[in-house]
Amino acid sequence: MINEPDTRDLLAEARQVLLDSLAPELAGERKYQALMIANAMGVAIREIEQREQGEPETTDRSLSHFLAGHQLPDNPEQGEQTLARALRERRLDGSEPELRLVLRGMTEARLRINNPGYLKSSGQSNTV
Amino acid sequence: MSGLADTFSNFISRQTGARSVRVVEFDRLSGGAIQDNFGLTLELEGGDRPGRQAFVIRQDAPSGVAESLSRPEEFRVLQAAFEAGVTAPEPLWLCEDTEVSGRVFYVMTRASGSASPRKLVKGDLTEDQRRHLVCRFGAELARLHTVRPPVASLDFLAMPEPENPALSRVALYRRYLEEIGEPHPVLEWALNWLEDHAPEPGPTVLCHCDFRTGNYMVDGGELTAVLDWEFAAWSDPCEDLGWLCSRSWRFGGDARVVGGIGDKQDLLDSYREVSGVDLDPASVSYWEVMALVRWAMIALQQARRHMSGEQRSLELALTGRMVAQMEYDLLNQIPELEEAQ
Repeated sequence: MINEPDTRDLLAEARQVLLDSLAPELAGERKYQALMIANAMGVAIREIEQREQGEPETTDRSLSHFLAGHQLPDNPEQGEQTLARALRERRLDGSEPELRLVLRGMTEARLRINNPGYLKSSGQSNTV
Repeated sequence: MSGLADTFSNFISRQTGARSVRVVEFDRLSGGAIQDNFGLTLELEGGDRPGRQAFVIRQDAPSGVAESLSRPEEFRVLQAAFEAGVTAPEPLWLCEDTEVSGRVFYVMTRASGSASPRKLVKGDLTEDQRRHLVCRFGAELARLHTVRPPVASLDFLAMPEPENPALSRVALYRRYLEEIGEPHPVLEWALNWLEDHAPEPGPTVLCHCDFRTGNYMVDGGELTAVLDWEFAAWSDPCEDLGWLCSRSWRFGGDARVVGGIGDKQDLLDSYREVSGVDLDPASVSYWEVMALVRWAMIALQQARRHMSGEQRSLELALTGRMVAQMEYDLLNQIPELEEAQ
């Protein structure tokens, strides 16, 4: 079904109106609330964009590759669950660079949605 | 609201034995995601505290997080800290009779100034004021850490189990993760690291456990009160210093490790001057890692309060989306510590 403008567009426009027209008129707690709403909408917009670009699949693939290489069950729905469980059971070496890369990949993918500015401000993505 | 103002002012009037009381100002104070805090300024005639007096009333909100103390417990912790010479609001009266306002509450003196992190970190403090503040932090913590178990009035505070507070925290956070039921491989990985690198514990002392920028008041560059005692616990002294230095509480002032205000060496020096104890900077760094895990746990619990419908809130929901920041910091900070070893 074609239903345009699409969700991302609607959200982006609504967020812009909130930031450009409404937020400047507000102060104190109300302004804080408006900025929280804009923040939540920004997260939703980026999540839609990442999904469109297939980023979650890329992250899942590297996790899947890691699990297969460590003789761990690789159920696409439960990759993170499997990894978390294996770590809890001390079945993986925490100092292993490949493990740290996988953890970093998942975390950076989440941050690109939740707070991309945090990645930029830290600028340490080469430290593993 | 005015009904509540009358309720609290009548209560205070009875406690002080005032002949008459007039409400000058009453408002709900911001910053309590877990408690309801009210500011109440009264004009009291006669009694123990005559004249214009500013109070804060702190009562339970509908829900709390797993670790937080009840109001009566918090009141007793505040009493112990105040008696140890910590710059905290003076705890005045505890009311456990829910007939009075519908909930348990206590009254304390109101400190002047602001606790706003942005104002402090991005504000116009001079270098001398910053240094002075950091030295005050060290001195306040040193005084608080003179309170050591057993203390009869604090018998509700559990001793760390296992005895090493760091390992006790690791076990607790693993339980929390289990309860939350959402997989967090980075937190599991960090908990393993914390288990494997736990330092020799210091003495077990009364820790504030939430002493950070945002939880103390400053007026004209001077510390006027350490607030928010609901997470106090028996723990390792370095837990308080690690929490204060955690990257999560620098509010954009990343280069100033101590709460976005100043340097760690000043904090350690002032702590030593007042306590005579030389804390190991490596232990403080270890507890900074613990602080990231703990804040992630609290954020996950806050998000759960929203998601379960217990307390629907956009702020709590967004806090859940902050967990990736703590995880990212863990992935950076642990290798940094390993390299430094």
